[in-house]
Amino acid sequence: MIRILIVDDEKPICDLIDMNLSAAGYYCKSVQDGLAAIDLIEKEDFDLILLDIMLPGADGFDIMDYIKPLKVPVIFITAKSDVRDKVKGLKLGAEDYLVKPFDMLELAARVEVVLRRFHKTESILRVGDVAVDLEARKVTRAGKPVVLTNKEYGLLVLFIQNKNVALFKENLYEKVWKDEYLSDSRTLELHVQRLRRKMGWEKNLVAVYKVGYRLEI
Amino acid sequence: MKFSYKILFCCIITMAAAFGAGGYFFIDDVFRASMERETTQAMDESSILQFAFETAALNIPSKYDILQNSVIEEIGSNLEKGGQGTGRLLRLSDEDRTVLYASEGFVEDTALLCAVEEQTRAYQVTCADDRYFIQTGTMLNSRDRILYLETMRDVTEVYGERSRGFAVYRNMTLLILVFSSVFMYFISSWLTKPIRLLTQATRKMTAGDYSYRAEQVSLDEMGQLTQDFNHMAGVLEENIHKLEEEVRAREDFIAAFSHELKTPLTSIIGYADLLRSRRLDEEKHFLSANYIYTEGKRLEAMSLRLLDIIVSKRRGLELQDADVSLLFGYLKDIYEAQEDIHFVFQYEPGRIPAEIDLLKTVLLNLADNACKASEPGDTVEVSGRKTEEGYLFSVKDYGVGIPEEECQKITEAFYMVDKSRSRSRNGAGLGLALCAELLKLHRSKLMIESTPGKGSCFSFRIPCERGGG
Repeated sequence: MIRILIVDDEKPICDLIDMNLSAAGYYCKSVQDGLAAIDLIEKEDFDLILLDIMLPGADGFDIMDYIKPLKVPVIFITAKSDVRDKVKGLKLGAEDYLVKPFDMLELAARVEVVLRRFHKTESILRVGDVAVDLEARKVTRAGKPVVLTNKEYGLLVLFIQNKNVALFKENLYEKVWKDEYLSDSRTLELHVQRLRRKMGWEKNLVAVYKVGYRLEI
Repeated sequence: MKFSYKILFCCIITMAAAFGAGGYFFIDDVFRASMERETTQAMDESSILQFAFETAALNIPSKYDILQNSVIEEIGSNLEKGGQGTGRLLRLSDEDRTVLYASEGFVEDTALLCAVEEQTRAYQVTCADDRYFIQTGTMLNSRDRILYLETMRDVTEVYGERSRGFAVYRNMTLLILVFSSVFMYFISSWLTKPIRLLTQATRKMTAGDYSYRAEQVSLDEMGQLTQDFNHMAGVLEENIHKLEEEVRAREDFIAAFSHELKTPLTSIIGYADLLRSRRLDEEKHFLSANYIYTEGKRLEAMSLRLLDIIVSKRRGLELQDADVSLLFGYLKDIYEAQEDIHFVFQYEPGRIPAEIDLLKTVLLNLADNACKASEPGDTVEVSGRKTEEGYLFSVKDYGVGIPEEECQKITEAFYMVDKSRSRSRNGAGLGLALCAELLKLHRSKLMIESTPGKGSCFSFRIPCERGGG
């Protein structure tokens, strides 16, 4: 199981990230103090560390010094949106940088990308008879390749990564189309219908009233 | 046109006019004097000649009583010759004013001749072939004949002197004007230097260099102006700095505020999203809802505190005579029951001009902070005593203390020495900022003494007299 350490001085935020990532199948541990974080990093092995910058005890930049020799990937999570801090964090060897307030879908996606970059996760997602090779961008259903458009592929990955979670139309649209969702647009609906047909998910990919869609498996 | 040029040109014009008129009158006066002298001489000559003629006429042995024309001519010729080398010119005419004898070169004009009357000697200045003469005319009576004697005296020299005088004077005037112009140029630019310096200073300040000052080069009215200008610039600069400082403080506040907003917002949005999109078990469901509630409350507390600060900044207050025992009694009621932290109250009775509710807030905040800084079992001392300048309140704890460099910033909004520690005790980082504002309304300020690890003492002094500074 992938082990993730969450270091943030806010307990609510730690718990929030914990709940979301646990649901996505990761093992999470959280700590609210910089010094405690350093102790924990030296004692236990982690595959990824989510690190706040402003911490009591030792700040995020200090903690980076302890993490570096261990070659554990780090994503900075902070309320500081200052470009200088961003650059400093990335220069110190962080893999990514998220500014509060952030979206949990976004966090999950970034975590996924970083883990894949470090080959900590399988690059193949499997749901039922469907397999998605994230690196080759190849989708097979029962061993037979399925041809998908870019947007359909993006939707498919989101649904698989968040199975059994109701995904909101505007979230889906923003993530895949990278644009603002207009409530009267039928683009998303059309794409989901085509995806259902192609994957044979007429029963699994259900519409949630007034919300969006959920992949039930 | 530049002001210095205006001064320069005015001076030059005045000088030119003065020199011109003065010179003209002077030279003209000299000329008149010379002419008068020449005229007198011409008249003298005329009377000498008259006498000489009459003498000569008497000496001539005459066959006739009446003087013959030929005799007159002869006398005339002799008289002309007698004036050897002096260029004497004369003309003789008879009773009918017909010319009998005239020297060579004598004017043809007979206007004077016609004007001469008995017993008078007339003269006029005539001009012939660019030469000037004083022509005199007189009537003489000789041997029963009335004759007219005219002379001419060359005064070209006098006229020449006049025009030479004018020429020399003109040249000299021009020379003086040129030199004095150069001199005046320097004088006028020296006089207008303060103006130029002021202009330069104004431009620099317009361009944004508010610290630039005009150099004072004189002590006259200009110098006074420069001094006043610099004083004005100083006041303006100070105001601008104050405004800039205020703007910066406001920007800092907004930055801090938005930063403080982000954390609870992240939680609220995140948990709300969790609740709406996942099926959570009962425990997690409650946890999420509770987090939304508490973080929302935190936002609320923050906004209320902010409102307090803004309102207290706006309002002036009515200070009323109040008994300090009210304040201490209020604190006692709240904190004495506290189990884990031991409160000690010690105060002298007294009365202070204050708004009691606001001071309660201040003391409450300070006591609250002391609790936050202390560990369970620690003591917090709240004391009050009279001093000469006023009534001194202090709240002393034996908790974590504040590093020296942090003491300055501690009253800034959202500043927290130990962020996670005070967070965990529900601090928003606004308490001391509020205290500082409220104390300002009481013409007092927060004094902080602190040693890290040993504890801190927050105190303030409420001045006794009303309305005193």
